[in-house]
Amino acid sequence: MTQRTAVLNTQTHTTPLPMPQRNPQRPAWIRALDSNLTYQIGTFALFALAWQLYGTYWGGLLVPTFTETVIAFVELLGTGEFWEAMFISNQALFIGFALSIIIGVPVGVLLGRFRTMERYSDVYLNILLVTPMAAIIPLLIMSVGFGLLSRVILVTIFAIVMVIVNVRAGVRQVDPTLIQMARSFGASEREIWFRVLIPGALPSIMTGLRLGLGRAVTGMVIVELLMVSLALGGLILEFRGMFNGPGLYATIVAILIEALLLISLAHWLERKAAPWAPNNQKGRGSR
Amino acid sequence: MTALITRARPKSGLSKRLLNGRASASLISLAVAGVLWEIVGQAAKVPFFPPLTAVLVELWSMITRGEIFGNLATSLANLVLGFGLSLIVGIVVGTAMGRYRRVNAALGIYVYALLTAPSLVFAPIFFSILGAGQGSIVAVIFMYSAFIMIINTASAVENVNPSLVEMGRSYGANEWQILTRIILPAAAPMIFAGVRLGMGRAVTGMINGEMFIAVVGLGRMVTVAGKSFDGAAVLAILIVIITVALAAIALVQFVDRRITSWVPNTTKES
Amino acid sequence: MIEITGLGKTFTGQDGSAVRALDNVNLSVQDNEFLTVLGPSGCGKTTMLKMIAGLMPWDEGEISIAGNPVRGPGPDRSMVFQNFALLPWSTVLENVAFGLRLRGVSKSEREDRARELISMVGLTGFETKRPGELSGGMQQRVGLARALAVEPKVLLMDEPFGAVDEQTRRLLQEELLSIWERTKVTVVFITHSMEEAVLLGDRVVLMSARPGQISEIVPVPLERPRSSDVGGLERSKEYVEITAYLWERLREMHDEHRAKNPAALNGAGR
Ligand SMILES: Nc1ncnc2c1ncn2[C@@H]1O[C@H](COP(=O)(O)OP(=O)(O)OP(=O)(O)O)[C@@H](O)[C@H]1O
Ligand SMILES: [Mg+2]
Repeated sequence: MTQRTAVLNTQTHTTPLPMPQRNPQRPAWIRALDSNLTYQIGTFALFALAWQLYGTYWGGLLVPTFTETVIAFVELLGTGEFWEAMFISNQALFIGFALSIIIGVPVGVLLGRFRTMERYSDVYLNILLVTPMAAIIPLLIMSVGFGLLSRVILVTIFAIVMVIVNVRAGVRQVDPTLIQMARSFGASEREIWFRVLIPGALPSIMTGLRLGLGRAVTGMVIVELLMVSLALGGLILEFRGMFNGPGLYATIVAILIEALLLISLAHWLERKAAPWAPNNQKGRGSR
Repeated sequence: MTALITRARPKSGLSKRLLNGRASASLISLAVAGVLWEIVGQAAKVPFFPPLTAVLVELWSMITRGEIFGNLATSLANLVLGFGLSLIVGIVVGTAMGRYRRVNAALGIYVYALLTAPSLVFAPIFFSILGAGQGSIVAVIFMYSAFIMIINTASAVENVNPSLVEMGRSYGANEWQILTRIILPAAAPMIFAGVRLGMGRAVTGMINGEMFIAVVGLGRMVTVAGKSFDGAAVLAILIVIITVALAAIALVQFVDRRITSWVPNTTKES
Repeated sequence: MIEITGLGKTFTGQDGSAVRALDNVNLSVQDNEFLTVLGPSGCGKTTMLKMIAGLMPWDEGEISIAGNPVRGPGPDRSMVFQNFALLPWSTVLENVAFGLRLRGVSKSEREDRARELISMVGLTGFETKRPGELSGGMQQRVGLARALAVEPKVLLMDEPFGAVDEQTRRLLQEELLSIWERTKVTVVFITHSMEEAVLLGDRVVLMSARPGQISEIVPVPLERPRSSDVGGLERSKEYVEITAYLWERLREMHDEHRAKNPAALNGAGR
């Protein structure tokens, strides 16, 4: 992606023929400075500086500086309370996410394989995709209470739509002649699923799992922040109640780091699992 | 000219399609689910799953009591502000990222990170900076919807056929003309795909933000109804919310169709 | 021996209109015969082939192979597809062994057999490559090897060389001829090319469109084996005469079709 833009840039900013070869002539240190990493670090430094200044001069009771947050984060990692909260949050996350895979993948394959089923279920998937799921939290709590079960169900509901939609799309775009080919060699429906549909949809399935994982983390955070104030979300609300700005920010940073690590892992797996997929060959995922 | 040819559909064909196509399947399955809902609701007699009729009655009384419209208006105002802001930022930053390597290098990974992060965790931050007001809600909506639009715009701009740009330059277009006359129009269909996703996320952000900072809007109504264990009220508001979401997305699609009418139907419907 | 009697099929389109794809088709193919099928686009060639393969039901008539009526796909037939239909996630070896695997042949046995065929189509050394790493011609060699690996009595080929370039096509034709001369399977080979039909076939079946019917069967009296001197064959008097005759007939069909259906002039044939 960067290569392509770079090509466009040289064309944009230089005069016409002959194509000047600017880059090789520039000194090495300038080229090193112009690397992507420099810009990434630069952005972060600017952001941290602005935060520091804001926190120092304007920040009220609840807005810490960048450095205060970093210190609080390190301290947070040393407390048992934090790790207990992590454990409780992730319990719901992993059970819920696993459920969404176990249910979502077969349902997605089914809907992708059989047109009529897909036609009748389409409205619901569309509605589920745009409905703010948080609004059903009250119903969940009324029905199953504040326990682990209601958090697991919410995480599952959050993640499963993404899994189903992507698996379905993946199955639908499996080349129909591959199915015919398998049938011409006498494949049964079961063999078609396991030898053609699921491998063919694997890149999309993995994408669905990655996006689903993102939604699962969102579900976990939302339920804890909005309804059941416990675990990580509860920690945030507790710090807010105590006007402990650094603690509040540090907890948020911890959640962000966990989310990004999990999703990077899913992204890496996505590429590993389907090396033949064109998206994964160019070294670039979709979305 | 191409647009005329590719878009024209025989009228009778369209109505036929509505009768026996996707739309009727959707209507049938909605109707079946509605009936099932009613039956199960009547039989179960539990507060969290009231029958459909009870929910509709509750919705109607909310409307006549004037509860819905005031809150709906406030929510929509939040939505317009938050989404409008994200749209502007999305297109400007996205275009810059798609076109200029250095901007992409500086912002790319952060935009991706913010896109994948659970957006609601930023709500306490806005709360701490902006207080428990509409500003925080608008900021939450922005966090929900901006990044998907930035990413989609960036990749749309990046994927514009380079020979179109070369063509423009061969006619002496300057950078601004290339951006506004060639790149943005060519990228419009894909940008709109991002805008549609952004709108869906904005509605979610609106509800979640209002539920977290429960001072105004539909989100607050859900929270209040939930706290008083009024299942029918929760579901009634949920129906309003889903309607808002679908209508907002339909609006984006309507504008999309107006602006990108040159795209052949076949490539869009896939 | 393949025996087709009174075969007929009508498709109903999504808009309810009916297309008579095949109408009273009668054909018998001898054992070890190489039969080529030629006809204008949409005359039902693929439809007929899929029915022989047992992949598509028909409305009227009967198909039998060696006296057994066709009720579905069977081990006596295998198919080579125009767009290759290779599994992109499997290696060349796995693709060639696919049919054997579905038939429960043990791993070592099917791999030995697959290697044999890979060498027969000249792909030794590419066993562990994936289809994405091969050229079109090589991919179709894999398709051919896969079809032959199950030792079918009948090989069904639907424009197998339609998607490869001219030079590769020539090489593949020569190879197919020499493989057929050695294995003597019965081949039903669909093509759009008169030259290909004559070069390969013992008889050329000419089909006409709307409704799809067999209009004529033209014997090809060129002597075999042909694989050794394809160039000489193409300069022979019989070859030139038959191709010229086929073109004349195809042209008549086009003219008739045009006279019956003026809309076909601008390509909007439906
Ligand atoms: N699944 C289907 N549904 C409806 N109509 C079909 C279907 N399959 C084929 N047809 C119609 O049947 C006719 C014959 O199709 P077929 O694919 O057999 O033609 P063909 O001779 O193989 O053409 P080509 O040379 O272009 O491959 C065509 O008019 C086609 O539109
Ligand atoms: Mg065909």
